[in-house]
Amino acid sequence: MAQARARIDPITLEVQWQRLISIVDEIDTVTIRTSFSTIVGESHDFGCVLMDQDGAGLAQAQWSPPQFCTMMPLTTKVMLQKFPRETLRPGDVLITNDPWIGSTHLPDYNVISPVFHRRKVVAFLGTVAHVSDVGGHRGDLEAADVFQEGIRVLPTFFFRDGRPVDVIHEFITANCRVPEMVMGDLHAIVGTHRMGTKRLQEFLDDYGLAGLRELAAEIMDRSEAALRGAIAALPDGVCTYEATADGYLEPFTLKVRIEIKGDEMWFDFAGSSPQQQNAAINAAFNITYATTVYPIKCMLVSRIPNNDGLVRPLHVTAPEGSIVNCTFPAPVKARAKVMKHIPPLIFGALESLLPGEVIAAAGGIMPFHFLGDDPRFGTFNVHVLPHGGLGATRDADGWQPVAYPHNSTVTPAEIMELGCPVLMLRKQMIPDSGGPGRTRGGLGQEFVLKCVAQNPITATVRPDLLRYPAPGLAGGGPGALGQVLLNGEQLHRFPPLELRPGDVLVLRVPGGGGFGRPGERPRERVRRDVALGFVTARAAYEQYGVEIEREVKRA
Amino acid sequence: MTGNNGYRLGFDIGGTFTDFVLIDGATGAVHSYKTLTTPSDPSQAVREGWTVLLDRVGIAGNDVETTIHATTLITNALIERTGAQTAFLTTEGFSDTLDTQREMRYDIYDLHSPPVEALVPRPLRFEVRERMDSFGDVVEALDEKSLEAAIRAIRTAGVEAVAVCFLHAYKNPIHEQQAGTRLARALPGVSVSLSSDVAPEIREYERMSTTVANAYVQPLAGRYLAQMERDLAAGGFRRRLYLMLSSGGITTGETAARFPIRMVESGPAAGVLATVFYGEGLGVRDLVAFDMGGTTAKMCLIKNGRPVMAHTFEIARVHRFKRGSGLPVRIPAIELIEIGAGGGSIAWVDEMGLLKVGPRSAGADPGPACYGLGGRSPTVTDADLLLGFLNPDYFLGGRMKLDRAAAEAAVGGLAATLGLGATEAAHGIYHVVNENMISATRIHIAERGEDPRRLALFAFGGAGPVHACALARALKMPGYICPAGAGVVSALGLLTAPAAFDFAQTYVAQLTPERLHALDEVYAALEEQGRARLREAGVPDDQMSFERSADMRHHGQGHEIPVDLPWQRFATVDLDRDLRPHFYEQYEALYGHAHRHLPVEIMTCRVRAAGPRPQVALPQAPAGSGRAVPKGRRPVYIPERGGFTEVPIFDRAELPVGSEIEGPAVVEEIDSTAYVGPDSRAVVDAHRNLVVTFTDSVPTTAPNGSGG
Repeated sequence: MAQARARIDPITLEVQWQRLISIVDEIDTVTIRTSFSTIVGESHDFGCVLMDQDGAGLAQAQWSPPQFCTMMPLTTKVMLQKFPRETLRPGDVLITNDPWIGSTHLPDYNVISPVFHRRKVVAFLGTVAHVSDVGGHRGDLEAADVFQEGIRVLPTFFFRDGRPVDVIHEFITANCRVPEMVMGDLHAIVGTHRMGTKRLQEFLDDYGLAGLRELAAEIMDRSEAALRGAIAALPDGVCTYEATADGYLEPFTLKVRIEIKGDEMWFDFAGSSPQQQNAAINAAFNITYATTVYPIKCMLVSRIPNNDGLVRPLHVTAPEGSIVNCTFPAPVKARAKVMKHIPPLIFGALESLLPGEVIAAAGGIMPFHFLGDDPRFGTFNVHVLPHGGLGATRDADGWQPVAYPHNSTVTPAEIMELGCPVLMLRKQMIPDSGGPGRTRGGLGQEFVLKCVAQNPITATVRPDLLRYPAPGLAGGGPGALGQVLLNGEQLHRFPPLELRPGDVLVLRVPGGGGFGRPGERPRERVRRDVALGFVTARAAYEQYGVEIEREVKRA
Repeated sequence: MTGNNGYRLGFDIGGTFTDFVLIDGATGAVHSYKTLTTPSDPSQAVREGWTVLLDRVGIAGNDVETTIHATTLITNALIERTGAQTAFLTTEGFSDTLDTQREMRYDIYDLHSPPVEALVPRPLRFEVRERMDSFGDVVEALDEKSLEAAIRAIRTAGVEAVAVCFLHAYKNPIHEQQAGTRLARALPGVSVSLSSDVAPEIREYERMSTTVANAYVQPLAGRYLAQMERDLAAGGFRRRLYLMLSSGGITTGETAARFPIRMVESGPAAGVLATVFYGEGLGVRDLVAFDMGGTTAKMCLIKNGRPVMAHTFEIARVHRFKRGSGLPVRIPAIELIEIGAGGGSIAWVDEMGLLKVGPRSAGADPGPACYGLGGRSPTVTDADLLLGFLNPDYFLGGRMKLDRAAAEAAVGGLAATLGLGATEAAHGIYHVVNENMISATRIHIAERGEDPRRLALFAFGGAGPVHACALARALKMPGYICPAGAGVVSALGLLTAPAAFDFAQTYVAQLTPERLHALDEVYAALEEQGRARLREAGVPDDQMSFERSADMRHHGQGHEIPVDLPWQRFATVDLDRDLRPHFYEQYEALYGHAHRHLPVEIMTCRVRAAGPRPQVALPQAPAGSGRAVPKGRRPVYIPERGGFTEVPIFDRAELPVGSEIEGPAVVEEIDSTAYVGPDSRAVVDAHRNLVVTFTDSVPTTAPNGSGG
């Protein structure tokens, strides 16, 4: 077990650690301000990580989606096998979007820059960003293999000695539909790495440090020790949990077995469904790993800034060929449909041990995306990432529509409408969509979208929870199911849709699960929910057993 | 209001103190007064203060030519949720946006963090059928029936204010205006805020949030301003009252009552204006205002004599210092960064054994342990006392005795947890709180593409001058400035503010030569509004100035940067030779690179309409001669010198003009203490400001003292 050896005093460590975090925070901020796509600029679908000289995660931007930051060091280590540290030169930038090396689907480009100080690589800056297009077919969910999903860039130099590498620039530019947006985002990231490199060099100069080795070890060792202490406080034993989810054409089941022994935890996904051949929902191992460790951090050490010390006591395994460890060349584009079911599994398994720290399943996300050409808008490509309700915790109702377990923002209706010939006619929460419970799940929301293009355009939608809802915990009920309707007809398959002028697409993003038995919910809170329109009078009676007299309702 | 010969009175109602500054325009004499704020009725402290001050100077209210006021009233009403019952009227389908917001969590690991509650509860939100598209074309006309129904429901609800925000109203406000007219007619006495007036900018949640916040504080602001006018009249004041805005301009009571949200954080803005003013006197135009009080520290970058502006900021945060946990408002504001670092900030040890300082504060009650009011937690002030920076017998000029034993006990407990000695722990607190402020300042400066090595730090507030030395050192600044009378700097800043108001209009367009004509029309309309507003404030036409700027981006980008536009007529500007390169240069200055092959897009046009800046001359201290003579010596903890070191202590009021002090030294005055570290030299200028320069570095530009 790692001890918190006092190599660096607690004051210097605090000061230097915060400085590293402030450097990645600045990279994050500048990435938003200099990006080109709505998906990066408005939706915050990217993450920034500072890694040590060996590629271990040291600090991440405070607003970066957690799973990116856990995967980035895994990616970097593979890249360093191909391009050993000693062969790198100042101004080099590496890139890959390989799903089995990177963050598990092609649209996520991993951009990694070595940071030099006194002629040596002392750190790496990594940004992973979901770009607007990587070629391939236009859909999300239907593909026979990864080849149909776009171009795959194995680890290579994006910049060498500070100069763009023509062949890779031309290759990416030539193989996507909106090259200016994609290259704009990638170059913005390279710009932020240059700035971050300067900041890091200033930091090292300020303290007269040759590198980060000692500081990194101290940060990771202390973090590790804190997590080990928290795990050791739990009783040894085994917990299991399983859940079934929609999948795409056929459902899948996830099973987890968690063993707590001493100050370490083992997670095994044996018994989970095999990978699917015709649905692009398969998760490569990196994301399974990242979303398995995320709930542990939330439950046990939420206040410790994220770094690789916090994964050392955690061991994750999944059978090769399963839906949580798929093998090349399985289609993976919509792997979020599997990924997002992992945290509820972990929380579910640990509910009896840590009832105050778990959260019920969330309604998740139902991304949609419009692309095409229009005389008034030109060539357009607009992404919107709308979210469902959050699950309830033991002590609080779930948040209303909000990003989880990733973190991103929804594109404003006005920005969406500025970019493409679609009107958002409604964006409203759905009453009764939050799972009933002693604490209630957060509500889902409904989008009504009307095509006002002059010619047909393409829409993609990636729904989830259409058949299996977000389950509750500890006796809480599930959230409402999701739904997608085109001109009033419910859709069950989601290849790219053609939207003709006047077509109306309705998306119902699901609600989160409840916690505890609904009958135990205080009556006044049920009445308040009815007064606020979160719960209908009928559901108050049927689910909570509370009769609402008419006069309680306002206006 | 622009005359400079009469008396000018500024008063700033802060959370703890209400500060007054009265300037005699004829002689330049400055009189100040400080009294405790009376939260239940702030006007009580105000009446007391001006009565005392006018009596002392021997003038009547009628002799005061201009009265300028800043208040925390608006900020407090938003934080404490004590504004008016407000209704919200929006486009059908969008009333939930106040709840769903941007759908982002402000803390990704804390599953227990509470959501940000909207100011208008759901039962008070109403929808009407109407719709514009992003071109401003009517997709669906304003539906009479639904408007009628909404108005009836609003009347039944009995609210005091209504916020109206329709989709794309920044582009075409006609539906909002029609609804506004009908609401005003149907609901006399109810204040109505339209998003197209309050913040005509794209992105509906931010615009809604701003409009709602404005409506929410409007009744309160109206009553408050009316009361203030009555009190002033009763006190014999005949001239108008002006209000400070967060943008650093002042405006009339009428305008402030229409846009009260623009008065948020007006006191801190005044502190920044004071920094600009002092900087001008010293010939320094690039500096950082650093105001460290009891609970927070605020920093603001000033470039070329102008504070950096922001057009969006967050108010009433659930977690005071967590980005994303507040309500966004789109108003022009001096961009202050505020962090939880003040004299009262509490030091603690986290689960990994690391020393943390803040953001929790002991506040004024119980306050730091050394106040002897029952506080047990170790704070920054306790550490400053133990390190020898503060004089236990001369705090607030001796009005308050500091309890050294209590500070030792509090810091000693922390030291034991850390396994350190008490002095090491105290220095740790000093170091950590400094680093928190340094990091925040460094990012703030870097985000604006500035280099701290050419900036001077201007330190005020009770704790600022004690910590300025460490900040300026770490940021590699050439030195720092500790003004005399640091305690009333903000109130003085009020008197240096011009009448000014900012206008914005979202106008999304890729720039082409043909569009430049249209741009002239947009700016002309904004300037016409500015002219009207300034005339109302009594500014003659020939003294008005208009500054144009725009939020611009490369075509297709998600975010904009503010760009100053030095042209009076765009129709004659060469797009490719002048305007585009101008944008690329400003973009490069911020981010190091631009995409010169991409077209440029404008998102929002902005105009600042301003009157002349009033001339204020600080009184000269009597010309002195000879050397500064210390009033005593005491040990101060200086790690560079191996620990506690005897240093000379000076009394600011006794310092001869033009004298120099070699650090390490401490300079005491009634409401603050300044520390001059080793390898530094402080020059006492003609106003008894301390201008400190580091003597062991070669500064690129030194903050030269005019008296040195």
